[in-house]
Amino acid sequence: MMAEGLRPTYARRLDELRRADDASFGAKSASLGELLAAAIPVPGGFALAAEAFHTFVSDAGLQGRLAAAQARLSAGDLDSVSAVSRAISEAMRFAPVPEGVREQIAACYAALAGIAGEAEPPVAVRSSALGEDSQEATFAGQQESYLWVRGLEHVCDAVRDCWVSLYSPPALAYRARLARAPEPAMGVTVQLMVDAEVSGVMFTCSPVSGDPSMVAINASWGLGLAVVGGEVTPDDYLISKVTGEVVREHVHHKHVQYLPDPRGRGTVAVDVAQERRDVPCLEAAALDALVDIARRIERHFGCHQDIEWAIARRSVLPESLFVVQSRPVTAVSRPKAGPSADAMALVMSTFGVRRGAD
Amino acid sequence: MASTTSALGAFPSPYSIDTPPGCEGWEEMYPYYALFHERRRETDEKRFWFWNSMHFPLPMPAFDAVCIDSPYQAVGSWQNRVFAVPPAMGIDYRCVNGYIYISGNPVTDPAKIAQRAEFFQKRAGYYYENWTELYAKWKTKMQVLIAELGALEVPDLPEYESDEVAFGEDRNTSFYEVLDAYGRTLRMCDLMWQHHFEFLLLGYGAYATFVEFCKGHLPDIPDQHIAQMVAGIDVLLFKPDAELRRLARAAIEMGVDAAFVEGRSPAQIDAELARSETGRRWLEELEKVKDPWFNMATGDGLYHYYRSWLDDPRIPYAALIGHIAALKAGEQIDRPTEEIRRERERLADEYGALLDGSARTTFTDLLALSRTVFPYVEEHKFFCDYWFLTSWWNKIREFGALLAQHGFLADGEDIFQLSRYEVFQALDELVLTWATGGEPLGPGHWPPIVARRKEVLAKLGQWTPPPALGVVPDAVTDPMTIMLWGVTTERVREWARQQDGGLTLNGAAASPGRVQGVARVVRSLEQISDVRNGEILVCGSTSPAWAPIFSKIAATITDVGGVMSHAAIVCREYGLPAVVGTGRATSTIKTGQLVRVDGTEGVVTVLRPGNGDAADDG
Repeated sequence: MMAEGLRPTYARRLDELRRADDASFGAKSASLGELLAAAIPVPGGFALAAEAFHTFVSDAGLQGRLAAAQARLSAGDLDSVSAVSRAISEAMRFAPVPEGVREQIAACYAALAGIAGEAEPPVAVRSSALGEDSQEATFAGQQESYLWVRGLEHVCDAVRDCWVSLYSPPALAYRARLARAPEPAMGVTVQLMVDAEVSGVMFTCSPVSGDPSMVAINASWGLGLAVVGGEVTPDDYLISKVTGEVVREHVHHKHVQYLPDPRGRGTVAVDVAQERRDVPCLEAAALDALVDIARRIERHFGCHQDIEWAIARRSVLPESLFVVQSRPVTAVSRPKAGPSADAMALVMSTFGVRRGAD
Repeated sequence: MASTTSALGAFPSPYSIDTPPGCEGWEEMYPYYALFHERRRETDEKRFWFWNSMHFPLPMPAFDAVCIDSPYQAVGSWQNRVFAVPPAMGIDYRCVNGYIYISGNPVTDPAKIAQRAEFFQKRAGYYYENWTELYAKWKTKMQVLIAELGALEVPDLPEYESDEVAFGEDRNTSFYEVLDAYGRTLRMCDLMWQHHFEFLLLGYGAYATFVEFCKGHLPDIPDQHIAQMVAGIDVLLFKPDAELRRLARAAIEMGVDAAFVEGRSPAQIDAELARSETGRRWLEELEKVKDPWFNMATGDGLYHYYRSWLDDPRIPYAALIGHIAALKAGEQIDRPTEEIRRERERLADEYGALLDGSARTTFTDLLALSRTVFPYVEEHKFFCDYWFLTSWWNKIREFGALLAQHGFLADGEDIFQLSRYEVFQALDELVLTWATGGEPLGPGHWPPIVARRKEVLAKLGQWTPPPALGVVPDAVTDPMTIMLWGVTTERVREWARQQDGGLTLNGAAASPGRVQGVARVVRSLEQISDVRNGEILVCGSTSPAWAPIFSKIAATITDVGGVMSHAAIVCREYGLPAVVGTGRATSTIKTGQLVRVDGTEGVVTVLRPGNGDAADDG
């Protein structure tokens, strides 16, 4: 950084990031950096700092308009949310990505092209919300994902689209409700796409009971959109971390999958072949590999994680398995264990000796 | 008819059960107090009774009722009068059409419960603290009792007493000796049951607490893992089969394995072996193993039907044939004890590490306590239910032989059709007429009674008892009912729902895995040999004494039993899916039907209803 003198760092490789970088690059990018540091297989990629967004806003001369809009909303004028959103989005879409930012994106993308072995590799472009409220920000619609984006121009457009999403109606409404809304800002994550045969989500504990000895896996055919978007009822597995055995398994009807658009850019929803709809989409080896990864990630972060993963076509386990996102689990029930007591007191209560009866 | 007031509905009233045609007068086989009597109707109708099909899956022969009274006298004594379990006194039983229903007696007065809690804490605490030492003494007590039983001689009634009686110092005549021997034989059974229950409640209670704790903190933990963490490694109950495996290997090494052909009877195999020198040497090896390891019972011991392996070697020989075939196919047949030990420690460490702070300490302490009590939980059956009881029934058979010899019974085995009091009466008359030289009425009196009872029992065996009678309780609160029979509030509600019937049975997921296959309903020892490879065993409750047939079957379904039943433990050991406590598997499923067993979810589905016995495919 110092070697680059006064030139600000807008983009960095994911493997250079650590937890502490979430203030400038956002939680998603920082956690991917952590995963890479822990030798978890994560598709190669780079991250844009919030600084890139700030430069974009100031170069385009949008600060005044954004501040005014924010003030109007803070005053409680919620009816105007969509109008304000539309106006800002228009203005941002016509502003160019600043040259300095664009250069760094180009360099990083070229590096990815080298790794992928093709000139314009497909990437996923996702927003990476900043700060402690990143979880809530996610719910407020500030998490845009653009999949199977190819070529520098399209990557830059997708980056700008992520920035625009900061001013989507739900995002605006969310910030308007906060007593002290943070200055809007956002990082962006750009990662090589995994052409997923199967993908899904897993928890390092049971999301239903909170059992910490379980890994819960949801999986469906194709790209993760179908599972994350709730379009299919995914296959559902509960697996013991301790022995790796499947404790519960429900195979569901998976009628639709997302695949790369054969025209080269973006994704399309496709019907799943009839004979594959009711077939389990994960085999024992895949489950083993997923549980192993789940345990390593949980150990690394020291808390329960909600993990998005994908298994690539035309490749074999364990090399075909990738983690594309991991974040702390917040909304999980805790086991309803009785009040803590020493062992003998519990034995006594089995026989109906009530606590404090002695 | 049904007389209950519960919002949850009712099981049939115990007073509404009809006597199956041709079984009139079944009541006379049992003591007057064993029945649902009009004088107790007021209270008995308002109680919840469940069929104890775990211990009494078959209609009780008159003599075998000893094994109802004695256990409930013993368990109540320890539970209610020694340890004073705070909310629960003993367990009442009633007999309906020869089947045994039970119901706990609750303590409801808070002052009484508090007073009992003091007794309980002091006395149970003492047992837990000194468990290993007390249990070692217990084992000695049991071995002394078994030896005493073995030494007890059933005297003859000679034409003239020996010189010893005439000239000796401490001499008794045979009339006294016969009556005394019978009385002492009965008392020994009482004593065995007293010993049996000394540790049982506390042992199961400690283990149940650990199970409960694990399920609270690790709600999805498979039952099997809990059992694996606790189970002993060198468990006595696995020893008989381990010896058979050793003998199977020896047979191959000695080159006599060709004698073990499927379909041959034990006698045929023995005869074949006796033809060669090495064969005879192998038989000598077998002889050394028999004491004590062939004192296994072929069933759960509470009926005289269940003989020991000594008396009926079909099960161990079938196992030998299986082991030899497996060895020759290059399979590993030994229990990998080192691996089991390592895995048990690994599970304990990993689960412990998943818990935090104080929970981890409690987990460790409860696990240690469970491991301390578990040898009793696993071993008492061998000493009491198998070794003692099979020997004891044989002792009763000797009295039967005596009565048969003098014409009081057509066959010695018929003694089991008389109650223990009637046997006393018969013996009284026998020794009286032997002494006086007078004419006995017994030979005309007893045989027709025996014949009639055999007929009645056979008919009662065709009748299907409902899983429960009386009121559906709001909740099952009796700790013993939950702990020992796995009868929980959920289970009872399921029974209530299932009264209308249906093709899906729910029970406890006792051993994970899914399999489908042809059902084989087994109600008695006689039917065990009918079991074919790959069939699904359907029974009242499984018994570890049946261990060798577990290598044949694909899964197990039982009427009654919880996670901690011996049945569940053995199924897990053999890696077979098992659903226990379905309440009505033996009455719903027919041999030959295609069923699916989901031991992971605890569900049994009858896939092809129809008339089971006609189906022959799988």
